[in-house]
Amino acid sequence: MTASTASAALVTGYTETRHHELRKTRILMIDGSLSSNARTCEAGVSARVHARGYWGFAAMPGASDGQRVLDRAHANALAMARFGAHTGAPLPQDSYRGEHVFQGKPALSPQDNLERLTALNAFCRQRYSGLRSVRLMLLEEHHTKQLATSTGTQALSSIQRALCYVVFATENEQGEPIELVEPISVKGSFADLDLSADTLAAPLDRMHEHLQAKRHAVPARGGLHTVVMAPRLAGMLAHEAMGHPCEADIVLGGAVTADLVGQRVASDLVTMVDFAHHHDGAELMIPVYVDDEGTPARDAVLIERGILRGFMNSRETAAKLGAAPTGSARAFGPTDEPLVRMRNTAILPGSSRLAEMIEGVDEGYLLMATSNGQADTTTEFMFGINLAYEIHGGRVGRAVRDTTLSGSAIEVLKTVDAVSDDMLWGASGYCGKKQPMVVSMGGPAVRARAHLGGE
Amino acid sequence: MPTLDLHAAAERALQLMLAQGFEHAQSSARLSQLTELNIELNRPSLLRNTETHRLGLLGLVGGRKAATELSDLSDSALRAAVAALHADAAGAPADTANAVSAGQHADIVQGPQQPDVDLLAAQVQGLLDFRARETPKMMLAEGSASHTLTQTCTLTSGGSVLSSRIGAWGLEASGSARDGKRASSFSGAGGRSHDLAAQPPQAHFGLEAMMREAERQVDPVPLAAHFTGDVVLTPYAVVDLLQWLQGQISDDRLIASTSLYAHRVGQAIASPLLHLHSRFDAPGVAAVSADAFATPALEILSGGVLHTLTPSLYGSRKTGLPHVPVAAGGWSIAAGATPLAALLRGVERGVLVGRFSMGNPSPAGDFSGVVKNSFLIDGGHVGHALSGVMAAGNMARMLEAVLAVSVERIDTGDWQLPWLRIGGLHFS
Repeated sequence: MTASTASAALVTGYTETRHHELRKTRILMIDGSLSSNARTCEAGVSARVHARGYWGFAAMPGASDGQRVLDRAHANALAMARFGAHTGAPLPQDSYRGEHVFQGKPALSPQDNLERLTALNAFCRQRYSGLRSVRLMLLEEHHTKQLATSTGTQALSSIQRALCYVVFATENEQGEPIELVEPISVKGSFADLDLSADTLAAPLDRMHEHLQAKRHAVPARGGLHTVVMAPRLAGMLAHEAMGHPCEADIVLGGAVTADLVGQRVASDLVTMVDFAHHHDGAELMIPVYVDDEGTPARDAVLIERGILRGFMNSRETAAKLGAAPTGSARAFGPTDEPLVRMRNTAILPGSSRLAEMIEGVDEGYLLMATSNGQADTTTEFMFGINLAYEIHGGRVGRAVRDTTLSGSAIEVLKTVDAVSDDMLWGASGYCGKKQPMVVSMGGPAVRARAHLGGE
Repeated sequence: MPTLDLHAAAERALQLMLAQGFEHAQSSARLSQLTELNIELNRPSLLRNTETHRLGLLGLVGGRKAATELSDLSDSALRAAVAALHADAAGAPADTANAVSAGQHADIVQGPQQPDVDLLAAQVQGLLDFRARETPKMMLAEGSASHTLTQTCTLTSGGSVLSSRIGAWGLEASGSARDGKRASSFSGAGGRSHDLAAQPPQAHFGLEAMMREAERQVDPVPLAAHFTGDVVLTPYAVVDLLQWLQGQISDDRLIASTSLYAHRVGQAIASPLLHLHSRFDAPGVAAVSADAFATPALEILSGGVLHTLTPSLYGSRKTGLPHVPVAAGGWSIAAGATPLAALLRGVERGVLVGRFSMGNPSPAGDFSGVVKNSFLIDGGHVGHALSGVMAAGNMARMLEAVLAVSVERIDTGDWQLPWLRIGGLHFS
């Protein structure tokens, strides 16, 4: 791919041109049968122009003429003058030059991928008798973007991730179907995903044990409880509960966080950061060195020892809020414009041990796996819980039927009284906000008070 | 921009696949054009034109299947994709359930075929004027007025030829109301129409009610105590219930034997008040299935009785169930006999639910979630907005427990749905 030079001479404002290719592969095997075996490649050129206070955007498929797309975007921006004159603060003029392409293991052939999946299915069937169904889904996506902006950015960025979902289904004592999912995600391609029996036997054994426990699960008691959230949930808590309300476009849209900078929104134990590309010396799963507006990406510290510090910004939201852009403007597909999105959002580890955190609960719940989540401008959040246990007298008890965790993020985070000293990152699923987006989430175990759905 | 000849592109791809050695093949060419005016933070913000074209290929060889989709339609890219597809299929396990459609024919032209930026601008300005005049606390964080034109041509080696040219207007808005430091929950409404100019923008898709109700939600209160009562689902909340049902009668659950309804055809699975049927000619919908079948009208529920499951061709051959093709959208629940006001008056104690924010229901239908954009109903009167209220129940039992269906419906194109009163949900 080659990037067109965004012609600043065309307009008095800002321009960007992006050559964007998105490749995906999806393979779904249900009980050994291949239900889906598909790959897609979407490529195109987009341009966005900011002129006289309005935006114009255009996108065309394939290797279209970048200048022509830019001209169309420019015309669209000027056509917005029908709504009257509009002036705003000038956009920040940051720029970046560089190339960032992940070098993983050499790609596997389609046959290799299918053989690995077939072997995994056979392993599960042989090792875990009595399952009603084994579903295996492989997902791989590779985003390549070449960007040029009128501020001088010339950048090539590549993000790759691969996922495997292992879904076991059986039935409970009442004969109803129940399921558990083990998501395995890595940076890179299927080749970087270790699906060997040696590696997966232990986590799949644990999932099978949890599924057997879930056959006898009891309903959660609805209401406010002390909950210990395993690391996999803490990442979701970071993303949904305070991540979205700290996206600057959501802030400008009326989120309650707008008035809380410098104020306490969590206990002293909570520090939360949206990392750009590295944490603790290691490159993260979704490394963003430069965003899709050509702004150099930097970490956005959202909460520092319980105090709200700032937001994630694009060029435009930074101008409106009088802040510095954080390089958080990201576009999912070739026909999408950049929006403020998270990258690698995490609550940082503390000093407690998970076992001690459980022992310290007289009556409560251990929440171990989540299915999905949603956020709100009010900071009220929820996420689905599909694996949980009761805690009685500091000991883990019966499994709990699928439930939902919710609360006001600020109220919940203020009750955090223990944060574990470990850290788990994952990049499964998508964040949804007008466009989907690949993000990663990380966190330690967290103990807090929150609402569980139930009778 | 030269016009893309979709039939020629699909035909060329099909011939290349057969020449490559595929025994059965399907090719689908698609061209989509979008013209969209965006709202951001209560003002017009962006005008866009986007165009995408794609070629979807599916090939079978020796009972082995693979599919691919590409946007580079050059001869070299197509040849490379077909060769790679053959390699993908060769490595797949053989499955006698794999097949492609045969003898299917459709040629559908529907909806507005040309964009009109003046019309889109008038809709955006009209909606913003309504907001400023009637609901000034409402912040439209984002919204859009759009025109889409999607053209497709699908061919199979079995002689199927399905073409469509579907135009539709779209209008949507979302945001929250703000009063000082208090904010409502995020809410939104929108849909697709064949005639956007037929009524003021706020009259489409329940947009006016969404904006007015958001202003009433800036000062919500929690429940005083747990209770079990009735719920009245708005049409937007009914969507969750129907999507769960559709998942239960579709491929994945049928093939994995985790559907509650696989053996319930002909039996009552829902309230006798529920009638669910297709309207595959809805705005933005083409009456063809993803596996290249024309989709005749379909009745899923009649008087609560399940009339059919909806396995695809593959799902049908895999499970032995009759094949029932469905389009990508276009569903309707028949209007009931109870005016909405009377439906609400009939609730002694319950909750009017704008939408559920919840985890994925379990395969057995159990769910719990936060009720959003919702109000307490007490003594038949809609009272104050609620915050932090969770509902718990079971989707299958909710279908059975429908007590009333409203006369009024909201039509979003994809869905045409009434309000439903359902008994026995637990609120905490």
